[in-house]
Formats: sequence, structure tokens, C-alpha cells
Amino acid sequence: MINPEHDAQVVTRIVQQDFPLWMSVTFYLAAFVSTAIFFYGCYIQVRKYKRGQPFSLTHIKKGIVDMIKDLLSHRTLRRRDHSAGLMHALIFFSFVLLFIGTVTITLDYDILRPITGRMIFWYGEFYLWFSFVLDIAGLAFAIGLLYMMYRRKWMALPKLNYARSDRTQEEPDYDRSWYRFEDWLFLWNLVIIMITGYVLEADRLVWLQDDPTVWDYRWWSPVGTLFAEAMKSMYLTSEGAESFRYFLWWFHALTAFLFVSLLPFTKAKHIFTALVSLVVRNRRSPARLPITDATAESIGIRSITDFNWKQLLHTDACTKCGRCHEACPANASGFPLSPRDMILSLRELSNNTLQKIKIPEAPLLNVVGDGVNQIRPETLWSCRTCGACQEICPVGIEHVPMMVDIRRALIEEGEMDPAVQTALQNLQKKGNSIGENKRKRAAWTKKLDFDIKDARKEPVDLLWFVGDYASLDPRYQKVCQSFARILRTSGVDFGILFESEMSAGNDVRRVGEEGLFEYLAENNIETLADCDFNRIVTTDPHSFNTLKNEYSELGGNYDVLHATQLVRQMLTDSQIPLARTLSKRVTYHDSCHLGRLNKEYDAPREVLGSIGVEIVEMPRNRDNAFCCGAGGGRIWTPDPIEIEKPSEIRMKEAASIEGIEAFVVNCPKCMNMFEDAVKSTGSDDKLKVIEIIELVENCLVDEVQPL
Amino acid sequence: MKILVPVKQVAIIDEDCEIRDDGKNVDVDFLDYEINEWDNYSWELALNLQETYGEDVEIVPLTVGPDEADDVLLNCLAKGGERGIRVWDDALVDSDSFAIAQVIAKVAEHENADYVLTGTLSSDYSFAATGMCVAGLLNWAHAAVVSKVDITPDAQQITVNRELEAGIEEEITVESPAVLSIQLGINEPRYASLRGIKQAKAKPIEVMSHKDFGLTDAEVGEIGSLSKVRKMYAPELSQAELIEGTVAEQAKRIAEIVKELKGGA
Repeated sequence: MINPEHDAQVVTRIVQQDFPLWMSVTFYLAAFVSTAIFFYGCYIQVRKYKRGQPFSLTHIKKGIVDMIKDLLSHRTLRRRDHSAGLMHALIFFSFVLLFIGTVTITLDYDILRPITGRMIFWYGEFYLWFSFVLDIAGLAFAIGLLYMMYRRKWMALPKLNYARSDRTQEEPDYDRSWYRFEDWLFLWNLVIIMITGYVLEADRLVWLQDDPTVWDYRWWSPVGTLFAEAMKSMYLTSEGAESFRYFLWWFHALTAFLFVSLLPFTKAKHIFTALVSLVVRNRRSPARLPITDATAESIGIRSITDFNWKQLLHTDACTKCGRCHEACPANASGFPLSPRDMILSLRELSNNTLQKIKIPEAPLLNVVGDGVNQIRPETLWSCRTCGACQEICPVGIEHVPMMVDIRRALIEEGEMDPAVQTALQNLQKKGNSIGENKRKRAAWTKKLDFDIKDARKEPVDLLWFVGDYASLDPRYQKVCQSFARILRTSGVDFGILFESEMSAGNDVRRVGEEGLFEYLAENNIETLADCDFNRIVTTDPHSFNTLKNEYSELGGNYDVLHATQLVRQMLTDSQIPLARTLSKRVTYHDSCHLGRLNKEYDAPREVLGSIGVEIVEMPRNRDNAFCCGAGGGRIWTPDPIEIEKPSEIRMKEAASIEGIEAFVVNCPKCMNMFEDAVKSTGSDDKLKVIEIIELVENCLVDEVQPL
Repeated sequence: MKILVPVKQVAIIDEDCEIRDDGKNVDVDFLDYEINEWDNYSWELALNLQETYGEDVEIVPLTVGPDEADDVLLNCLAKGGERGIRVWDDALVDSDSFAIAQVIAKVAEHENADYVLTGTLSSDYSFAATGMCVAGLLNWAHAAVVSKVDITPDAQQITVNRELEAGIEEEITVESPAVLSIQLGINEPRYASLRGIKQAKAKPIEVMSHKDFGLTDAEVGEIGSLSKVRKMYAPELSQAELIEGTVAEQAKRIAEIVKELKGGA
């Protein structure tokens, strides 16, 4: 492609062509200053993270591999917002290409050329392809940026609305105008760099139009050439172009330097913080909260420096995308909680305190309080630990463990809703949150016309861990009876722990009472240690979650199944004698602890399919399912009467589906919440709340039983 | 200012409990134990005073009970206070309120307490007498069913509100030193976290016998009590009748019952 008359060596761009020496020197000085400011900014950030607690990383390699996969596929950004994902990918990949381009030039021009005396590779065919690729990259960059501007300004997306749920308008930290300014500064800075880049490129072409080694190959920079032709059509001459050149050149250089210098001080830092956040993220959270030393002097987060560096980094990775804000059920119901605002408050607090030369006095470091950038207790107590925030965060921020960590301190100080206190006291005294006498725990078994084996006394194949709400909630006791009948009819060798079973402690842990969680877990582990069984099954997703994911750290290692996983297996093996199949059209609610936290979306669906039930999916399903609102201790706390509860929002979502007769759940807490919500939303003439196990049991009998 | 707070480990029983063979108490298999609910409030009052006045105040929980009763002291120490006292001896078995009060009074003297805060009553035996017996034995001023009080160190007199019937309160002046029996609702008792309870095990609990305070065996136990249990039994349950039928039929049956009762009376 090079004209044989031209020496390939000269088919290149002469960097800083015709620059007087003082101008080149000034350029390198400016570059040096800009880079120094950049590194200084990085130093401030790293010093801030180091002011938090130490944290040792495990699985670094896997983290890096996962992060690279995330970046290359852009999967975390494409979820539930394809266009944002695509456009960000355009910006990201073109930025990377352009950056590689700059590095390439620097390598050959600034390093290899002074050493060897000539350009090693950046000329000729390589240079032409280089020019082409980067011109197209710039175009992709432009498309992405312009779309983002359009998105931010005209699409009026609720998740980009920075209005706070946890502050009122009069309060000083309600104001988010700096964030908006910073957002637009970021976009405009990049857009200006891009535009000036093309204009400069075009200007050079017009200036050097009489040089065939430049002009003949101009279409290898197609976008620049289009600009150049336009400029020529406006009668710009070579001399004219030359006179603008220094100005354009320096304008482009300075806006680029501005971007680099400001990077660690602005939203642009997410380039690094998001990357590292994705490497260090703990993918087992929030199903498995990081274990803590309950015997330590002090527990929980009081001061911003009590967070470890990973958590502080997480707060810096946030790009205010608003996905967590949109997904949060507490936020949707009008509670003073937005996961986004909690993370941003923590970020502002750490920036204001830990970026100075000296760390301020202790009271200014307090995380909980009424002051600016502090978190209020009611914000923390609104959380349902449903994990929707963490699930969708594109940069891997772990909102839930941080929130639970702060709750731990509140619990130690005794600051909690009185209803939560009562529940915890009941758990301390009686091993269940409802306050029922221990002896009543297995009372539901008395309604059966057969005896259930006592797993404490005889060996069993399957140990059924029933759970608090499953044992004691009158509505769900019927489900337990159904499950017992299914197991009995199918010839399963199973038993329960009767009154030796205590609450598994999942919600106790998430409320922040770590000592009580350990007490309950240690008791259960001791009871189970004396039993002889192969596997554990439970109908309760909360018990399932903690038994499976968290008991191992305390010495309890079990093979744990949820009832739907067991039933699916039994149906596949034809172990359950089905007398008939149903033909119902229902919708199915993925519970947080079985679904999103433990990724079990298929077993319940397959079970329903096997018994002839047709599922019409909820608009928000699987990883996007909307929480019933009972988690995080909220089932013990009455909701304010005037708000629309998460369970009511969800029930209305179900009621909007045509032609279904039931709302199918797989969890005792969901059942409890939705039995109330189906009545309070007036949907009870349309929908029945049924547990999946009840539907399976309905297939065991021949006579049609009204369900 | 030193405040002694006697707290009690009370027994809780189920509906389907059985009386033990000697007919004087519930079979121990059916008993569970917890801290007396009123004592949470009296201890909370003490904690608040400690937090307000700092070093000027020392609060000490005291219990009369066997080894298991350490749990209620730990429950208190988890929330605050630096040390606890437990008094026990086999001779103390079957002590009534008066006999227990003998022990508490001796400890109060030994500790040079300025105030003794008890609960109004205990949920298992409900005599509501122990606090006042202590006052009598010490010859101190006293007030029972206290719903509001303002104690300051070195105060010669304190103002106390007592809860009466029908939402009425009585305001009285009490001279210190005094014994106050505290009523529910005077404050909001804080939560004792499991961690706090574990850490409280590091705080010293002095275990003593009544003899260490100069009391003889004859002054405590069943011998030293002013009352003793003759018999404990479950009262005969009468049957409840479920009135079914249409509204008219139900009304007719209710009218019949009313006539029977009126006629019978």
C-alpha cells in the first residue's frame, strides 16, 4: 500500500514537527508536572486506604481472571441495561486502544529513537494501519460519549436521579450538585479531547496537503480526512492551517493533561478503583458474610478507620450508576435507605477525614450519627439484606457486609428497634424469635397420623432442619405437614431434632448479633454432632443459607439441600408416587436466600414443570426478584402503616399478570409476608398464596382436593 | 454513692407442667429460668445513674441463689457494673421473702449501700414483699411500685412517683438511705448482647454464704421464714363452651346461660 516512490520510513507523523526547542522542553515539563500530580493523587488515595484496617486477600489469581472476564465481556455493565453496557464498551475499548496508541508512539519516539537514532516501527504500513484503527476507535469513543450525554440529560432515568431517600431537602448533604458537575466535567473533558484530536489531525492534513507522503495516505485517517475536506471546503489553506496548529496542538495537549492530572481526584479514578474492586470482590457474599472474631475487644464499625482497605476501596469504586438504588426494596417502599447513598456517604466521610495530612480526632470519624455524611441508624435498620444491591453492582461493591458490620456496633451499644430486641431476647432464652416455649417447637408434628423419627435418638438418612417460622407459624405448619407426608409416602428415611433444634441464626447474624449467632450455631452443631445422618434438608431458605455457607467456619460441615432440590431429585428418580399432575397457571416468586444468594432458580421451576404447573414469570424474576421485605430482621419489626410495603409492591406486580391463579413461594417468611399482602392489596380474590411443597403434595392424592 | 441491686433468677413454667411428689412445688424438669423482668428495670435505673454520675456512683448486682443464678448476674454485668455478689448456702433452700430479705439487708450493711433498688415483685412467686422487708430490717425509708425517681449523689431526700390504680400517680418525698422497689416501664432496659455476656465472665463475682454476714442457719431457710408453702396445685379447670349455630341460635343459647347464672345466683 505504500507507493514505491515513497520511502516507507518517511510515511509517518513527525512528532512535534517544527517545534522550537523551548516548546518541546515545555511540553515535556508539562507532561512531567501532569504526571507528578497524577501520582501524587494516587498516593493520597492509597494512603487513605492504608489508614483503614489490614485485610489479606485470598484467591488473587482467580480475582484477576474474573475481573478480566468481566472487563472483556462487560457482563456486569450489560445486565439489565444493554444500551449502557454497549456504549460503555465502546468508550472503554476505544479508550484502551487510544491509550495503547499513545504508549506505542512514546515507546518508539521517546525511547527507542533516542537510543538507536531512528524510528524502529512506527512508520510505513504499520503506521497506516495504526492510524486507521485509532481513527475508528476515536469514532467509537465519540459515539459512546455522545450517547452517554444524551442518556444523562434526556432519558431522565430514575436511577440517575441523585435525590436522596435518607435526607430531607433542607439538610446540607442533600445537595448533589457537585456530583452532577463532576459527571458533566468528566464527559465534556473527554469529548473535548476527542474533538480537538480530530480537528488537530485534520489541521495537520490541510497544513501538509502539499506533501505527498502525507496527503496521499490521508484516507487511512478517514474521520480526520472528512474534517480536513470540510475545512478545505471552507477555504482553509495550508498557511492558514499552519497558523492554527500550535494553538490546536497545545489545546489538545492541555485538555489531555488536565484529564490525567485530575484523574485520581475525580470520577475518572473509577478506571483504577473499579478494576481493583472487581479483583478483590468476595463472590460468596452476601450469602456468606465474612466471619468475625466475636471474642475480640470490640466488634463492629464505629469509626471510618474501622473499615478495612478493601471496604474503603469499594466506596471509591462507585460511579453513581444507581442500579443498586433502583433494585433496593426498602428504597422502593420509601424507607430512608439507598444503598448508593450509604456507600457515597461513607466515601465522602473517608475523603473528608482520611485524605488530609493528619487524621482528625475520633468523634469526626464516627460512621453513625446525624451529621453530614454520617449514616443514620434508621437507614441501617431499613435494610432487608436481600442482596439486590450487590447482585447488580457493576463494580463489585459489597454493600451488605459493610452494613452488617456497622449494625454489629449498634447492637453492642444496644441501639435497635425494641421489636428486634425482643426477638433477640426470645432467641437467647428460647432458641426461636417468636418467643414460643421450646417444647412447642415440634407441636406441628402432632397433627400427622404417623410419627416422625427422632434424629437425636436414631440414625436417619435425611435430617430435616425445620426452622423457626416453619415450625411455629400456623400457616406454614401446614406446609411442614405436607412435606412430612411427601417424605413418608416416598419412603424416605428422615427425622427431625424436635425441641433440641434452635434457630439456625441466619437473620441473627444479619441483624448484627454475632455473639448470639455463634451461640445458636454452636448449639445446633453440637446437637447435630450427636446425630447420625447423611444429608440435611430444609424447606426454609434462611436456614439453608447459613447451614450451607456459614456453619463450616464454626465446624459444621454438612451436605445441605433445600426441599425443592431434594424434590427435584426425587421426581427425577421417580421416588415420589405421583397420582396425578395439576394443570395450573401460576407465577413463581424467587426468594432472596434460595434464589439470588444461592443461585437456585431452576430446581423449583423444574419441580413445578414436572407436576404440570405452568409458570408465567414475574416481570422481575431470578436474580432480579423483588424481596418480600422480611429479611435482615425486618420480619420482627412492624412496618410504618402508611407506606406501601415491599410485599405489597411485589403482590401488585403479581396481580398485574393475566390468567394466573396462584402466587407460589418457597419460604416460610415469604409466605408470612405475602399472606398478609395478598389481603391488604385486595388481590385475594384473584390469587392464592401457595407453597411449592403444597402443590407437590396435592399430586400425591387421587381425589381432587381444593387447594 | 453506692447502689445495691438485688436481682432474682425466677422460674418459668409451661402450661403442661407437673407438681413434684411432695406437692409443694413444680417438678424441676418443667422449670426454665430467667432474670426477673422487674429487675431489668431496676438495674437499668442503676446503669443510668452510673452513666450520669460516673465515678461518684458504684452499682453492684446481688443475687441469692445457687450456681445457676450466676446467669442473672452475668446478664447485669454484660450491661455495666464492675463486680457482682452471689450469696448461697444449702441452708437457704425454701427461704421466703423475709428470709431472703435478711440476707439482702446484711449485704446492704456490709456494702455501706446508700440505696437498695429491687423489683416491685418477682414473676414466679409474686409476693412483692422482699423489698419492703429489707427496708423494715434496715429501718430505712422506702417506696414501692416506683414509676419515676430522681436520685442524685449526696441527696438527703429524693422525690419519688408511685404508680397507683387507674393511671394515677402519687408523688412522695423519701429520705435517703432508702429501699425502692421499681415498677415496669420506668425506663427501657437495654439489650445484653451474647458478646457482652461472654465478656462479663471476666468480671469478678464474689460468692458468699449467709454465715459470712453473721446470720445463723436458724435465721434463714424454712426455719427462718415467716411463711411456708403448705401445698402447690393446679386449680380445677372449668370447661369452656363453644356456642355454635346461626346468630339467632347463638343469641338464644346466650340468653339461656344468662338466665341460668342469674337464677343460680
